[in-house]
Amino acid sequence: MSTELVRVTIDERDVHVPKGTGIVETALAAGVEIPVFCYEPRLGAPVGACRMCLVEVEGMPKLQTGCTLTAQDGMVVKTARTSEKAAGGERATLEFILVNHPLDCPVCDKGGECPLQDLTFRYGPGNTRMSFDKLTFEKPIPISPTISLDRERCILCYRCTRFSESVSEDGQLVAANRGALSVITTFEDLPYTGAFTGNVTELCPVGALLPTQYRFEGRPWEIVEVPTVCGLCPVGCNIHATVREGKVKRILSRNHPEIDEGWICDKGRFAYTHLRAEDRLAQPLQRLRRHGLEQVSWEQAIDEAERLFRAARGRIVTVLSGSETVEQAYALGKLLRVGLDSHQATLPEEISGGLDAYRLPLSSIRSADVVVVLGDVPVAERAPVVDLWIRSARRNGARILDDANDPAVAEAERVVLIWSGPGGRGSTTVAKLAEKLGLAEREGCGAFYLPETPNGRGVADAWAACCDEEGGPIDSIGLLVVSGDEAAADENVRALAEQAEATIVLSMFGGLSAGWADLVLPGTSYLERDGTFVNLEGRLQRLRRTVTPPCPDELEWIAELAARFDVDVAPYAAAVFAEVSERVYGGLAFGEVGERAPLRGYPEAQEHVAREALPEPRGKPRRRSEVRLVAYKPLFSGAAVERVTELQFQRPQPELELSPEDAQRRKIATGDLVTVGSNGSAITLPARVNRHLRAGIARVALEHANGLQGIVELAKAEEVTA
Amino acid sequence: MAEHKVLLAGTDERDLTQLAEYRAIGGYRGVDKARAMTPDALIEELQQANLRGRGGAGFPMGRKASLIDRKSPKPKYLVVNADESEPGAFKDREVMAKAPHRLIEGCLIAAHAIESTDVFIYIRGEYLAEYEILAAAVEEAREAGLFGDVRITVHRGAGAYICGEETALLESLEGKRGQPRPRPPFPPIQGLYMAPTQINNVCTIATVPAILELGAEEFAKTGVPSSPGTAIFSISGNVVQPGNYELDLGTPMRELIYEHAGGIAGGRELKAVIPGGSSVPALTPDQIDVPLDYDSLGAIGTFFGAASLIVVDDRCCMVQLAIRSTKFYAHESCGKCTPCRVGTRWMVQILESIENGTATHADLELLDSVGDNILGKVLCALGEFAVYPVASYLHKWRDEFVAHIEQGGCPFGNSSSLDGILAPSDMHAHTPAGEEALV
Amino acid sequence: MTTFYDEVQELRARYPEGSRSAVLPALRLAQERHGWLSREALEETADALEVTPAFCYSIATFYDMLHLEPVGRHTIDVCTNLPCALCGAQEVVEAFESELGIRAGETTPDGEVTLRAVECLGGCGYATVVAVNDRYRQHVRPETVPEILGELDGGT
Repeated sequence: MSTELVRVTIDERDVHVPKGTGIVETALAAGVEIPVFCYEPRLGAPVGACRMCLVEVEGMPKLQTGCTLTAQDGMVVKTARTSEKAAGGERATLEFILVNHPLDCPVCDKGGECPLQDLTFRYGPGNTRMSFDKLTFEKPIPISPTISLDRERCILCYRCTRFSESVSEDGQLVAANRGALSVITTFEDLPYTGAFTGNVTELCPVGALLPTQYRFEGRPWEIVEVPTVCGLCPVGCNIHATVREGKVKRILSRNHPEIDEGWICDKGRFAYTHLRAEDRLAQPLQRLRRHGLEQVSWEQAIDEAERLFRAARGRIVTVLSGSETVEQAYALGKLLRVGLDSHQATLPEEISGGLDAYRLPLSSIRSADVVVVLGDVPVAERAPVVDLWIRSARRNGARILDDANDPAVAEAERVVLIWSGPGGRGSTTVAKLAEKLGLAEREGCGAFYLPETPNGRGVADAWAACCDEEGGPIDSIGLLVVSGDEAAADENVRALAEQAEATIVLSMFGGLSAGWADLVLPGTSYLERDGTFVNLEGRLQRLRRTVTPPCPDELEWIAELAARFDVDVAPYAAAVFAEVSERVYGGLAFGEVGERAPLRGYPEAQEHVAREALPEPRGKPRRRSEVRLVAYKPLFSGAAVERVTELQFQRPQPELELSPEDAQRRKIATGDLVTVGSNGSAITLPARVNRHLRAGIARVALEHANGLQGIVELAKAEEVTA
Repeated sequence: MAEHKVLLAGTDERDLTQLAEYRAIGGYRGVDKARAMTPDALIEELQQANLRGRGGAGFPMGRKASLIDRKSPKPKYLVVNADESEPGAFKDREVMAKAPHRLIEGCLIAAHAIESTDVFIYIRGEYLAEYEILAAAVEEAREAGLFGDVRITVHRGAGAYICGEETALLESLEGKRGQPRPRPPFPPIQGLYMAPTQINNVCTIATVPAILELGAEEFAKTGVPSSPGTAIFSISGNVVQPGNYELDLGTPMRELIYEHAGGIAGGRELKAVIPGGSSVPALTPDQIDVPLDYDSLGAIGTFFGAASLIVVDDRCCMVQLAIRSTKFYAHESCGKCTPCRVGTRWMVQILESIENGTATHADLELLDSVGDNILGKVLCALGEFAVYPVASYLHKWRDEFVAHIEQGGCPFGNSSSLDGILAPSDMHAHTPAGEEALV
Repeated sequence: MTTFYDEVQELRARYPEGSRSAVLPALRLAQERHGWLSREALEETADALEVTPAFCYSIATFYDMLHLEPVGRHTIDVCTNLPCALCGAQEVVEAFESELGIRAGETTPDGEVTLRAVECLGGCGYATVVAVNDRYRQHVRPETVPEILGELDGGT
């Protein structure tokens, strides 16, 4: 868009906007609403399909669609508010839209928050002239276990299919047939599968595409939309939790233009029912002699925790999940480090503060000339919305590369590096790479590490900040404190527990700690906590307690325990944050974190993370025939997803992805069984040849990898006759 | 007046599908002439000839070429609209079948004018024989070295009337559903593959060699001043000698119907003429002295359209005519914009209630009003094509519509020439997973 | 022997890289091979074009000449649009219906012939126009119907 300002007259009001601004936006600038259905700027170029936005333009004989028209100097536009002709167009369109639309608003979940209902009340006809049979379809039909489609209500605005085609680019939700028989459909009634499908339920301007979980669950006048941040991945999409009678009933996006642009992934949208999982803990569990874990009172559990802590002073090891809030991690760290002289903690990954020099909002990926994605784990599996930004960059003409040594990288003006590899030291690697490329302080250049944990950075900062002393090595583990469900689900952590004299687990779910904990303290979900998270951009964001958890908040009992060891920990997130903020976030007040948090710089944060030596980005040169197996943690996995029945269809198939080169060398075709082996263990999986995979890389979801990782032997499996 | 063959010149005497035959009558000399000119001079020549687009809209071809953004760094495309689908029109088909090289020559000249090396001819899928002839002719001309650096690709449609609309054609050619695009941006700025694109009808492009042969000045003297040249008129329906007749623009309609086409068949009375393909307002017998050119037809409230006359005799029930016509446009509606998708189906329902005698007088007003609500509100002209003819039947044969209501059914009984006529939309429609939409 | 995949790559090469222009020719090719666009045919086409089967389905359902249900070995498409209708196309449809013993829109039980009414074929001056296996027969009258069907039997 040009920066030249032009004057446009909308309903006799003059307004100055940049030349090329859409007339819908221009009208808004003049304080005039032009109603729309199909228009949605996030879906790409306007299509002018629904005809709701017809306006009269001086000098043009026919009505024009405001959505497709752009501001030119001297343009005089009359909307339906001042032009009888435009009003006629608006009435006609609304009548046509309603001709086949059923009058089932009283039983429609969209009722009360439906753009069609609203516009009909405002501008629509009072009665219908349609006395013939409306088009009828079977209704509603599932287009996936999470989304229902009611074709009778569909007004064919094509928002959903445009999303599928040009935002998520999954190409699964399409329009079929022609004319009045046009319908929205998937291929052969296969479920609409992918990381982002649920967004179509929010894009739909009528009650045609609705989240099945929300069916008959709430009415707009009974619900409260609580603004918070998703805590299921490191992106930290801004969301609303729809709450009715103390229960989360739905998750909606809450557009943060720099982070998510209003798109959220299906895990963030549909996994909330884990809050009410069958094995959700409300009461602590304690191992009682011969009886195994038994429910005990909170008083008893806190006493037991105190006893275990005292017995292991100085020998307590903490395993953190990276899903704790900054405040939780700080409070727990202060208790254990200051009060109990136990400084050892592990996080599933390291996140280098070296990246802070290359911070950018995620939205700037869109304007990059070159995006280098390293690490071979599909971006959507790690940080889903980042995948949408990369796709958007590609549509804008950016080159997406998988090699930082590509000459195009050196030539490009705006370069963004993204590390999407399994665990380990990716953030250091990408920070060093950014340094080598000289990306610091270059306009539009930056680097991202896609962590495995939602708040790994925040937790690391908090743990480091809570105590100035450093502990020495310990020879035995007196007590293992396992914080959070991700840690509790980790096989390695369970192995560590066997070496410990005792284990305390903080977990939401009984199923994760049944066999091996001595004391289980119920945990809360990100939807139940007040506090802050730091996302993969390094952006500090505010979580809100959207509903009351079935158990006390972690801060509450940490504070109580801390008092028993003469450590001062406040039971409120705001107070804990004030303390962390003094040390890490430049004294920012809790209330100033913001509902749509800006990307701030926190120079103090870097001091806590030591600069590390530059590791070889790619390891040794690869032998031509060698294949490295990347076992990635899929988006649809983890404790929350496992507890949501309707998300199970989204879990990855047991299959091995291969590059065409590696497949060809071994005469493997898609569907063939392949044996993957290393050090004597082997798995056999069907192959899928993926044209976008680099040679030398094979990929499998962690849950199908059977522990295999790294350099593997790979061969077509022998035909097994039954 | 006798026929004046320009587009079809030589086709009676020779097999012009053969390159040698076409060259024997001076074929492809226009290309040499054109290539000796600068693109600017050539466009000037084309503008001077004032050749108006034969696709229906009548926009001057030379002016279209002048609008092409030739400075764009993108490739420039010439696209020939050979998706002839308007009921009543079958002239492009004859040009392609009988004089394919004339079309190809026109392509090469027009491509030179807009500095294009990429030409696509989008031919409707049903025209299989014509495709084979045209593809063979393209191949023959290419092998003869006539193309220079120009590439001509013949692309077949697959059965969708809407792809004759130029932006829907571009969408279809890009491999999408053939749904029209909003304009602006217009194709000369942003057309095929987002690049500057000139789109012309078969007869328009096939006339271009004649302009080069005669020179613009001479060409402009043929036909009538506002519409120079000849046009192939397709005439069908209830006449003795239906077929294609190439005549100077401005020839009286009566001459075409009664002299060339031999008058009304079976000694019946003329009832109506739909002059531009089924999408335009019909004329009554007292209006047929009109000269056949863009402006004269426009002056009496109809359109030159596709230069295709459907002649209707007195056996035909105008309500049935309206139903069959509207069913066609409803069937062909692409489904993109609301008024056309919904309105055409609603019109069919209203018309059927009139025909079966369940309608009231108010339904005539409703039909009119639904039509009005489509006109001027749709994304492309298809929705309007459904309304124009029906509105004309309703206004000019209103008594017949009223008779249906007052008699509680069709005054023709079962004797109308269209009685019981089946439309494709009456057969069951395929919907996902085999379920039937309950239409 | 060239595979379907290879043939589709040749079709793709006729159009600018990255465009989806080859989808119609590819679907037509798939239909020629499979007789109609079955699920497998659409999946195979999608794979060769590097698009989703849903995309191919979406395109195929837009165009009347692409069949999403099995059709007979022979197809008979009778134009019933206005010019042909005014000249007796309905009688031609009915003649085919009674000779074949099926209604328009149906396929004979032996899977031999599919009869359809279709919109204007562009042969208005030569009514009634019938496309027999996509080849036009013009000036068809009820009396010529048996002859047309007879030629089918004598053919492949």
